[in-house]
Amino acid sequence: MAKMKSFQISDALTRGLEETVSVAHNYSGQLRIEALQIKKIDIDFANPRELSIEFADLLNEIDKHDVLYEKKQQEINSLASMVESIKREGVINPVVVYKEGERYKLIAGERRTLASILAKKEDIPAKILDKKPSELKLSMIQWIENIERADLTLWERLKNLEKIVFSYEEEKKEKMAPTALSELLGCVLSHAVKYHAILHADEMIKEAVKEGKIKNLDKAAIIVSIKDEDLRLEALNACVAGATLQDLKNLIVRNKKLEMAKKEKADKLPEGRGRQTTRVNLGTTKNTKAVKFIIDSIITNKGFEVLKGQVDKLNWGDYKSVSGIFQKILKTLETNLNKEQELK
Amino acid sequence: MTKIIVNATHKGGEGKTTNSIILAEYLSSVLKFKTLAIDMDPQANFSGRYLKMEYDPAYKGGKIPPLHPDYDATVDKNWDGTSSIADIFYGKEIIPYPTFIPQLELLPAHSSRLQEAEAVTRNEVVEKVHVQLKKLLNIQQLQDSYDVIIIDTPPSKGPLTIAAVKAASHIIIPAQMEQFSIEGIYGMLQLWKQETYYRGSTDPLELVGILPNKVRNIKIHKQFLESLESMKGVGNYVIPHVIHERAIYTEILVENADPKILFNLPEEHIARYEYETVCKFITKKVFNNG
Repeated sequence: MAKMKSFQISDALTRGLEETVSVAHNYSGQLRIEALQIKKIDIDFANPRELSIEFADLLNEIDKHDVLYEKKQQEINSLASMVESIKREGVINPVVVYKEGERYKLIAGERRTLASILAKKEDIPAKILDKKPSELKLSMIQWIENIERADLTLWERLKNLEKIVFSYEEEKKEKMAPTALSELLGCVLSHAVKYHAILHADEMIKEAVKEGKIKNLDKAAIIVSIKDEDLRLEALNACVAGATLQDLKNLIVRNKKLEMAKKEKADKLPEGRGRQTTRVNLGTTKNTKAVKFIIDSIITNKGFEVLKGQVDKLNWGDYKSVSGIFQKILKTLETNLNKEQELK
Repeated sequence: MTKIIVNATHKGGEGKTTNSIILAEYLSSVLKFKTLAIDMDPQANFSGRYLKMEYDPAYKGGKIPPLHPDYDATVDKNWDGTSSIADIFYGKEIIPYPTFIPQLELLPAHSSRLQEAEAVTRNEVVEKVHVQLKKLLNIQQLQDSYDVIIIDTPPSKGPLTIAAVKAASHIIIPAQMEQFSIEGIYGMLQLWKQETYYRGSTDPLELVGILPNKVRNIKIHKQFLESLESMKGVGNYVIPHVIHERAIYTEILVENADPKILFNLPEEHIARYEYETVCKFITKKVFNNG
């Protein structure tokens, strides 16, 4: 019998077709990149920004009477290396804008835009969104854009994150857990846990981060994790004074050991000077009458019958013999008490 | 907004022109929609259906549109009397031709001029070609004049096809259920994908679907169709009605065909029924879903 013919579209072509449709769906309207005239772009002042410089300052020089003159001048200087690279290579990574009427609002890429103006460019590659994205999406875009910037401070990152968390909680009406944060940012959970902890830290620590006294995420996280308020303050001060991460870890470990030792001591009996007292000293006396009084009152008790004969024959003037019989009575008393204990 | 439907695939012989003709005639003669047919293919077959195209003396095998019926040599001093869609690349005004269907007008091809536009290579010029048709179709007066525009494209992925895709609101990919044709679908989906990236949500390029065309009752056609329909994501874009290989679809294209229009066949005629089902599906998708 002839072999049955079967016709299949090849796997490679099937994959190609499926991927094309899926990618088209996922990126619909999102990869629209065009060269935009810079003069059509506006800074979005609704978003918090670190820079104080504005486009107008660059287009018509900074006003010498501007109260921010010094700061603006510094910002321009800080853009110098980017300006050089833009003159050479142009802007490689497009800025992100959204359309508002005939103009465009900048979502990400303020420095690139400013540097392009300084580099005497008239246009800039821009990814154009049709409309203003939701707050959450907006803060995400800014986070992703910023995370690649090497000069971003811990505080700037935290401020971005704060926005993400805020808009997430607004949108979803639920508290944002570290797991959600790690999923959203696409970072490992341990990283997200650290950010999450710092975001919920007390104001003193946040203040230190803001002032740039703590620059490192790990250091900040370790300080935040300290429960004891005094130690936390100590660690904070140590960090501000320049302690390394290892120093901070050591500080915590040392403190823990100290705490443990203290706790052990607290469990034991109170102690005096010198060697520890571990038994009762019944004392010594020359007055054998006193000893006879004690012995007589004990010996009548049950369990001392065996010693009665020895006590009767005792020479009360011989300290050694009296001490000996007293020790025997004490031993017997201990033995009897132990037996009684066992019987119970 | 006027709906702009383009039939496109860079493989030849898939039925772009036939589908453009039948769809244009369904919309204009059955539904009485004010329809504009645009022929972007230098082969000028879509144009030839409605106009007695003339051979271009300057260009071997090329066609040029005949004199426009409204042309009056004594009045129109600044017009040579012909008009073609290729004129948009030369900054000239365009004047649609009437056809034997009252509701249907045509902007015919001009072989050599379209070829020239297709052959541009300099980047700036290519970009100009790409947006030129969109600019024309965005003109308010034109939008007001038509309910729907049908564009036929050349079998290529060159500037003319791209210009048509950029101008369109809807795209149909006619394809036979055969190896090279499926590869052609892949190429067209790439083009659709690129354009989709670019478009905003306010003016998307809707993929009406892949139209299984010239289907015969043979194993390869049936199995390829099944494969295509079962592909993830792609399956949703296979039009759920097929067009079979039938003599009638080519017979109606002959000059003295009777009837000339498929929809003048009796309603129960299998070919009319089959194509009308497809046309209804397309119309519903284009006009009901935005």
